[in-house]
Amino acid sequence: MDDLAQLNNFRSEVPVQEDLRAEAERLMAGMSAPARPNFRRLGLRAALAGGLAAAVGVAVFLVQNQPAPTPPPPLIRTVAAVEVLTRAAEHAGSRPELHPRPGQFLVYQSETMNSAEGEGQIWLSRARRTFWQPVEGSSVKAFLQNEILAPLPYPGHMLPPLAQWEQEQVGKPSRPERAADFDDRPEFMRNDYAYVSKLPTDTEGMRRHLYTQVPFDGLQDYEAWGRVGGLLQESYLPAAQRAALFRAAATIPGVVTVKEAQDAAGRTGIAAAMVSPMGVREEYIFDRKTYDYLGRRGVVVDAKLANAPVGSVVSSSAQLKVSVADGAPIVE
Amino acid sequence: MSETSPADSAVIARSRQEPEVFGEIFRRHAAEIKRFVIRRLGLDVAEDVVAETFLAAFHQRGRYDLARHNALPWLYGIATNLIGRHKRTEARQLNLLVRTGVDPVTEPFTPRSDERLSAQAVQQRLAAALVALPAGHRDVLLLVTWGGLSYAEAAEALGIRVGTVRSRINRARTKIREELGGTDPTALVIEEVRHG
Repeated sequence: MDDLAQLNNFRSEVPVQEDLRAEAERLMAGMSAPARPNFRRLGLRAALAGGLAAAVGVAVFLVQNQPAPTPPPPLIRTVAAVEVLTRAAEHAGSRPELHPRPGQFLVYQSETMNSAEGEGQIWLSRARRTFWQPVEGSSVKAFLQNEILAPLPYPGHMLPPLAQWEQEQVGKPSRPERAADFDDRPEFMRNDYAYVSKLPTDTEGMRRHLYTQVPFDGLQDYEAWGRVGGLLQESYLPAAQRAALFRAAATIPGVVTVKEAQDAAGRTGIAAAMVSPMGVREEYIFDRKTYDYLGRRGVVVDAKLANAPVGSVVSSSAQLKVSVADGAPIVE
Repeated sequence: MSETSPADSAVIARSRQEPEVFGEIFRRHAAEIKRFVIRRLGLDVAEDVVAETFLAAFHQRGRYDLARHNALPWLYGIATNLIGRHKRTEARQLNLLVRTGVDPVTEPFTPRSDERLSAQAVQQRLAAALVALPAGHRDVLLLVTWGGLSYAEAAEALGIRVGTVRSRINRARTKIREELGGTDPTALVIEEVRHG
């Protein structure tokens, strides 16, 4: 018997596995997880004229009413790993606060870059956007003005023909439009000011919130990390909730510190990050001195999973300004 | 796969519009992938690795090369990457087999009375050889033997060149033959292993 035959024989008594129910259930839960593509959803919102409606519409087989599992116990983490988030928490109350009132709007000005795909082509879609979010209520009452910026090639790829349309839109800012036709996000995914003002101000309570209805499929910590992003990007939390968010985020297993990161506007800061199942390190970037949230960035750490060279940036954003306005632009 | 059922690539293409269709890829290949994962890591972590493999595949289906009709090499590639996160588990179990002669991986499937001492010595040597291989070499060797992938498929699965697959297999086999003691002259002829 030669070496290959002997190797083939080695552990050959392991039978073909017929009972795959546990794996099948986890796949189904993962496939239908309400907010799994959190970063992708932000991207869709930026890229699609239909806005949130189109992104939410994908989740047709949303799994609801799952029993709420207890979050995994927080790990003891090294000082370095939680440093950024802890400092951000300490600084949360040191800046002048916005106090939007019911009926008003929070206005977010930002730049975004996300991967866009279609017909087997992939590229980076960029936009400058202003988002008027009602202080209370769903995104149906929100408005969005989107200005398409020149698309870029996805790292390691050519700029494909499909990106041409975006290229032609450069310099033609669109009028403000309704951000979404419907918004059927579950209650715990809301991020309007009225809702986030009532979130827990203690670490453990906020941590439970981040893990609400998260399926325990091995990706739960990344899901929670994505939800942190949902409360940072185009969202404004009162100082107490913001501090709790940072402290809770620091307890999520797998969070690391990135000493230098650059947002979509080229501003550098320090970041807390987690590596995604797609081989991308998803960073939230903070100002080095004030610990204000600057934006986010996705950096490839696994070339094969991300389909791009290690170290390349496949997504980013910059939150340039957050302000309060009495009204939103008129939409005909 | 029967003659009438669509190729994996067609199923994956459809799943881009109708995500639930991806379940068919699971039904076709999960049993084989799970057996492979168990052979490398044992029963305990296999469930995690298999579930994560198919979830990762689901998330990457938009980038699947539809020219490849059979999705198995792609799935084996993802599984192998995820297995790489459990290198210590793999090494611990191989080392245990080397030291004690008992293989924790096959134990759940082996009747207690079935003591095959002569085979056991070979297994201990194989385990010692496998654990001593660089991870990249072990990955390629086991994809080609246990997974039944061709050199081209293994290269595709791991994102490396066919020449790299060939040289890793050659070096891995040399080490295994050294460990097994005897040099079998016919074994020096390297042939591509192709199944199915």
